[in-house]
Amino acid sequence: MTTATLAARPSNRRNNLALMGHQVVYEQLSFWRNPQSAIFTFVFPVLFVTIIGALFGAVGRSSYFGGLSALQYYVPTIGALSVLGSCYGQLAVALAFRRQNGILKRVRATPLPAWAYFSGLLAHCVLVSLVDIALIVGVGRLYGVPLPTQWIAIAITLVIGAACFCAIGVAVASVISNAEAAPAVAQIVLFPLMFLSGTYMPIHSRLLNQIAGWLPVRPFNEALTGPLSRHGGADWRQLAVLAAWGAVGAVVAIRRFRWDPRPQ
Amino acid sequence: MGDMQITPSVTETTRQNAIEVAGLRKSYGSVQAVRDVSFSVGRGEIVALLGPNGAGKTTTLEILEGFRVRDGGVAHVLGHDPGDRSAARELRERTGLVLQDIAVEPYLTVRETLARQAGYYRGPRDVPEVISLVGLAGLERRKVRVLSGGQKRRLDLALGLIGDPELLYLDEPTTGFDPAARHGAWELVRHLRAAGTTILLTTHDMAEAQALADRVVLLSRGAVVADGPPAGLGGRDAERTRITFTLPAGHQIADLPLPAQAHDGTVEIETANPTSDLHLLTSWAASNDVALSALTVSRPSLEDTYLQLTTAQMPSGAPERSTR
Repeated sequence: MTTATLAARPSNRRNNLALMGHQVVYEQLSFWRNPQSAIFTFVFPVLFVTIIGALFGAVGRSSYFGGLSALQYYVPTIGALSVLGSCYGQLAVALAFRRQNGILKRVRATPLPAWAYFSGLLAHCVLVSLVDIALIVGVGRLYGVPLPTQWIAIAITLVIGAACFCAIGVAVASVISNAEAAPAVAQIVLFPLMFLSGTYMPIHSRLLNQIAGWLPVRPFNEALTGPLSRHGGADWRQLAVLAAWGAVGAVVAIRRFRWDPRPQ
Repeated sequence: MGDMQITPSVTETTRQNAIEVAGLRKSYGSVQAVRDVSFSVGRGEIVALLGPNGAGKTTTLEILEGFRVRDGGVAHVLGHDPGDRSAARELRERTGLVLQDIAVEPYLTVRETLARQAGYYRGPRDVPEVISLVGLAGLERRKVRVLSGGQKRRLDLALGLIGDPELLYLDEPTTGFDPAARHGAWELVRHLRAAGTTILLTTHDMAEAQALADRVVLLSRGAVVADGPPAGLGGRDAERTRITFTLPAGHQIADLPLPAQAHDGTVEIETANPTSDLHLLTSWAASNDVALSALTVSRPSLEDTYLQLTTAQMPSGAPERSTR
């Protein structure tokens, strides 16, 4: 390539926003093209809340559910579960898979900056979370849960929660060394944490609640329960705990993330 | 033409080699993958890094691509240090690479896969043009996951080309190709060279190095053992030529006009002067009225040289190790 050709090249370095948009569009395209991941992502939470509704739909307000009806309790926790699934679980697995297959290395060889790549993923996760929550709230409505009114608080909580669990997802993907182990590793961390955090049933032990309150899942459950079921605003105290975990995840992700399937 | 030399710096850049490597070193733990590698690649040149598995080809390539941090030595790619993070994006704009493994996402179509990658570059090539260049025309709307292995490989190659690179790295580009696909890939590489692209490729296939490369850098156990045009590798053109023929009936080896060795009736003569020695031999045969049947004159093939150079320093029984 001669310098004459170089000079003739238009200096149309894409501005960063356009580059990010480009990445978001193709990230969406490859997601929707994979019928399994698309169906699983949306059908699972809907199915879950439908079953819970069939089991506990008639259970009204009770002190066991903290003064809420059973479904008012489960709509936010299953909502949180679906956000965790798509932002943390699927992201960790997808990144481990892409790394193992050399797809990340391929991306790394292009001029696409790392932040643009990750913002494409984050935008995707936020979008999926919004759709998940809308579906779950919709099913909850069918079982008589009143529609929430605090949409802005819900949106803020979702974006912070999605970003936080994405960061943790990338961090976990950074320390997983092979794609086959990724789903197991991701679940091993998540599953006990969800039990402890009251996702599947209310926890009435003060000690357990205090411990879980400093871990990422319970604060997210609480932060979603406020605006979704109690007509409350954004719960900044819980969101702060969440954001702190997100920051830890981001630091680990930035320091440890590998694009190359083989270690240095 | 004079327009191209407006500023001295432009001329200087043009004159520089595309790749300049000196004393490169890289270890993984206690394994020295690259011990001492020095070579250069001129602009517009095709250079092959040739060597057996574990010779350090891929590690060398990965250092140049910016994927690995070298332990020592000097490396310059298009005037930049590949280990310098601030130059990384600029280098990635101007280089393309094709990895050993197929790395394409399954659910996009051929066209979408290339259009996505094209969007990452400031001056990409035309997507349909690249599709037909690699021989995937007609498959634009096909999903990647239903492509055959060879077609995926060609898509991989297209991804390496889409940014219109000045310098292209090909890591074992035709591994797993059938002979027709291999020749197709070779044609494409020659086409790229004709368009001015500099190419550094790795291969353990001597035929490939011979067919494509202007220059071969032969690696063995992390060091360069030979560097030159494939025809003259390892001083092959200066080496001795071998003449063989069947010993004529009724003659002893001592009757021949030249010192020779015989194995099972086949005479073997090694010579540095094949023309005059052949003349001596054929004159002797004519005057004694005998025929030199099964007469062959051969020079060591690239394969002979390769085996000789890459096994010379290998202690017998040394375990094969991979650096990858």
